[in-house]
Amino acid sequence: MSHPEFHYIGQHLPRKEDYRLLTGRGRYVDDVEVPSALHACFVRSPHAHARILGIDAQAALEMPGVVTVVTGADLALWTTRQRMAPPIEGLQAMEMDTLPVSKVRFQGDPVACVIATDRYLAEDAVEQVRVDYEVLPAVSSMCQALDPASPRVDEALPSNLISHQQAIHGDPKARQREAYKTVESTFSMHRQTHLPIETRGCIAVWDEGRQHLTFHVGNQVPHPYRTTLAGRLRLSESQVTVISQDVGGGFGQKIALYREELTVAAVARHLKRPVRWREDRLENLLASSQARENFCRTRAAVSAEGRLLGLELEIIEDFGAYSFYPGNYLARVVAMILTGPYKVQDYSYDVKVVLSNKVGNGPMRAPMAITSWLMEGTMDAIARELGLDPVAVRRLNMLHPHELPYTMATGEVLADITPRETMEAALAAIGYEDFRQRQKQMRAQGVYLGLGLCTVVESTTYGSRFYKAAGIPGSGHEAAWLRIEPSGAVNASVGLGATGQGYETSLAHAVAEGLGVAPQLVHLHLGHTDIAPYGMGSRGARGGTAGGSTLYLCARDAQDKVLLIAAHHLGLVDHTSLRLRDGRVEQLAHDEWMATDLTLADVARTAYLDPTALPQGMSPGLEFHKTYDPPPMTYSNSTHVCEVEVALATGAIRFGRYVVAEDCGTVLSPVVVEGQQHGAIAMGLSGSLFEHIVYDEIGQNLSGTLADYLVATAHELPHFEIISMHTPNRSTPAGIKGMAEGGVMGAIGALSNAVNDALAPLGVVVNEQPLTPMYLRGLIRKSFQSTNKA
Amino acid sequence: MRAMEKRSITLTVNGQNHEVMVEPRKLLVDALREDCRLTGTHVGCEHGVCGACTVLVDGSTVRSCLTYAIQMEGHEVSTIESVDAGGKLSPLQQALHEEHGLQCGFCTPGIVMTFEAFLKHHSDPSEDEIREALSGNLCRCTGYQNIVKAIQKAAEQMRKNPDYVAP
Repeated sequence: MSHPEFHYIGQHLPRKEDYRLLTGRGRYVDDVEVPSALHACFVRSPHAHARILGIDAQAALEMPGVVTVVTGADLALWTTRQRMAPPIEGLQAMEMDTLPVSKVRFQGDPVACVIATDRYLAEDAVEQVRVDYEVLPAVSSMCQALDPASPRVDEALPSNLISHQQAIHGDPKARQREAYKTVESTFSMHRQTHLPIETRGCIAVWDEGRQHLTFHVGNQVPHPYRTTLAGRLRLSESQVTVISQDVGGGFGQKIALYREELTVAAVARHLKRPVRWREDRLENLLASSQARENFCRTRAAVSAEGRLLGLELEIIEDFGAYSFYPGNYLARVVAMILTGPYKVQDYSYDVKVVLSNKVGNGPMRAPMAITSWLMEGTMDAIARELGLDPVAVRRLNMLHPHELPYTMATGEVLADITPRETMEAALAAIGYEDFRQRQKQMRAQGVYLGLGLCTVVESTTYGSRFYKAAGIPGSGHEAAWLRIEPSGAVNASVGLGATGQGYETSLAHAVAEGLGVAPQLVHLHLGHTDIAPYGMGSRGARGGTAGGSTLYLCARDAQDKVLLIAAHHLGLVDHTSLRLRDGRVEQLAHDEWMATDLTLADVARTAYLDPTALPQGMSPGLEFHKTYDPPPMTYSNSTHVCEVEVALATGAIRFGRYVVAEDCGTVLSPVVVEGQQHGAIAMGLSGSLFEHIVYDEIGQNLSGTLADYLVATAHELPHFEIISMHTPNRSTPAGIKGMAEGGVMGAIGALSNAVNDALAPLGVVVNEQPLTPMYLRGLIRKSFQSTNKA
Repeated sequence: MRAMEKRSITLTVNGQNHEVMVEPRKLLVDALREDCRLTGTHVGCEHGVCGACTVLVDGSTVRSCLTYAIQMEGHEVSTIESVDAGGKLSPLQQALHEEHGLQCGFCTPGIVMTFEAFLKHHSDPSEDEIREALSGNLCRCTGYQNIVKAIQKAAEQMRKNPDYVAP
């Protein structure tokens, strides 16, 4: 690691979480024992779009073990409706029932909930709940959604266009008129889902005496979640405790309060008995949040040399049936950061988000995932149409270090990024010129190799000022506390919700650095709303910058107080010549740090048990609290280079080398960061190759099992070679930038570009995903047919 | 399916006998988790694809979500809770820790059980063999690379020192 200014940050230590998880002693929601808890199971709509004419639960209620069956009408009495109505220009407000009362909007929409003494019995009873439906025509595609003659998914809205935003910066139309050429490209990304290996689930325990709800759930944002849960139950935030212990992956699927979870909480309170729910995989694929699915078009005005003069972007996104997030939440970021590493000021976008009879969308690891494919696919298209080398086109247009900080056309400011450095490092590592030679030789033998390049500028941490500027309500700040106990033990907490990232390890490095103790001795307490401070939780890639920085600053306050006490004890006038290192107070004498007799434990004992020995006016104890709002936005950057071989006969893709140069600034834990890089690339490749939530024309979900929704296994993924770079962000404490989503963005673009490069002699261009053998074979066949005709 | 009469069966899990009352349709994984209170075995898909519920039956890997508890009478079931000896990690667990072969940890017990069995019969597996064997376990966090590395390391460790127990 290259952080000479730090002692603990960047140390290569294995994770603290591992022991319990490796030995089967983790505590995921379904592992929490609650005596005599009842089990919930949901009755779900078999239709994509239908009116609910009646629900007859009599037969179910007569079955053994069944306690009750509740419907939307019951929930309407016990909970408030959801209203998603932030004051955003171009966005329609949406209101939703807790469970549908009058109509269902997608196949899998929950219409009733059976509560029984046993999960098996609850499932039996679900089959006996009779729901009468009047089936309505379904909206199953974006094109159909935009047709004024189509049915409306939400009849309270004037159309299916939930959000429409446009902006014109400079004059891209004028640039097209002046240009040597305008290069148009299209990109279609298919519907996918997060697929955490642990499905959703929750346990609600209502304490009638205290009028208090304890709610166990795997969640990324425990405090905002509690605010919503309490509000929808008409309880105060003092009456709800949310506990999220070990979580088996989230990837964005475990943020919003789901209707099933609210139902379980409301029923537990109504029955005054604990109720638990564990989603099965079918439900997860049919009814848990989905993501992506959009159609995009870019028009790049270019000079004959390949210089980008102006750029237009159109996006249409299929948002599904319900607005669990503001409709513009995902696509708008793509539009704002599209131009990434390239210099262009004449830029416009038009972003339409439509409703359909599918599961409501949510942010999935890299909600802006398509960004880098769009931009780098456009760069390749420019090179292709002008007969230039794709690397040369990038070199011509890419920002130079002296041009930073750079204000993009949208007003977003890029600083402390190094796209040229990552691109050149990745190209050198893969041996670009040698590859071109090899490619040529192999083509002569009928072997089609391709190399794809994708440079990513990843928006990582969204500060409050970004949200304000984007018209999105909410905050980007984070909160932390730190307590040094009388023994010198160090406890700390932050408002993030861990879902497997390894926060207990990476964040311990931030505390260690700020305080001056070994990370191994720092204990993080996360995921309990009565213990953790109110923070904004885990979304995007904010854990490091928002969470890590807040803890680091909090720990620096703590070290200050410890040293003030130490200075007083040592008879010094101030503490400027002291530091804490490995839990011992050290003093600077003749340019050398010398250990004193004082340890953190000595100081802690004084602070708690002998407060009269403290400096005049100092309050006893060693307890600290800090909040911190990061800059409007921080960026990391990387370049992915991917080699593939495409078999013309089968359309199969085989990976060669996969190299990534990534600059994510100061790294708290290189172990954890490398794990995040691998995981993100894998998710991007898996999504681009296999994963596909398929709805047919009547809105039936055809991907309800893992035999239909395919995910990459160890067998299909390449070995990742990573080149680590560490340019600190100068506007955050400790130079942290954040990371963890860029890998998805880069993988999607690098793979697609590599396939196009391989198939360039055939004139084949992929403009949709997944890149299945069937899809590629179709393109290859078409290419041969047109060649034969000619 | 209709509720059925519960039957008393004896499950032998990690060398201990458990007398449990189960319906014949009760899945082994549910019996392990609910009746034997061994929650280390996880349910990821309930249709035999993800591998999170993998346990050993008489030493061979089995999907406990595709097996009924009642079928297990007279067999020896081993779960993740049996792998570490008195708090000491097995070489495989230790290597997964050292190589960062797990993140959220939900798939990890299934992977550990799969490769505790695999390494008994493959003392020097190639990367391809490991990836092939690992393709029966889905992991959404790691991209598999560090798991592969850990398995190679564990195999090496076990070859060098068959009696190795982690520190």
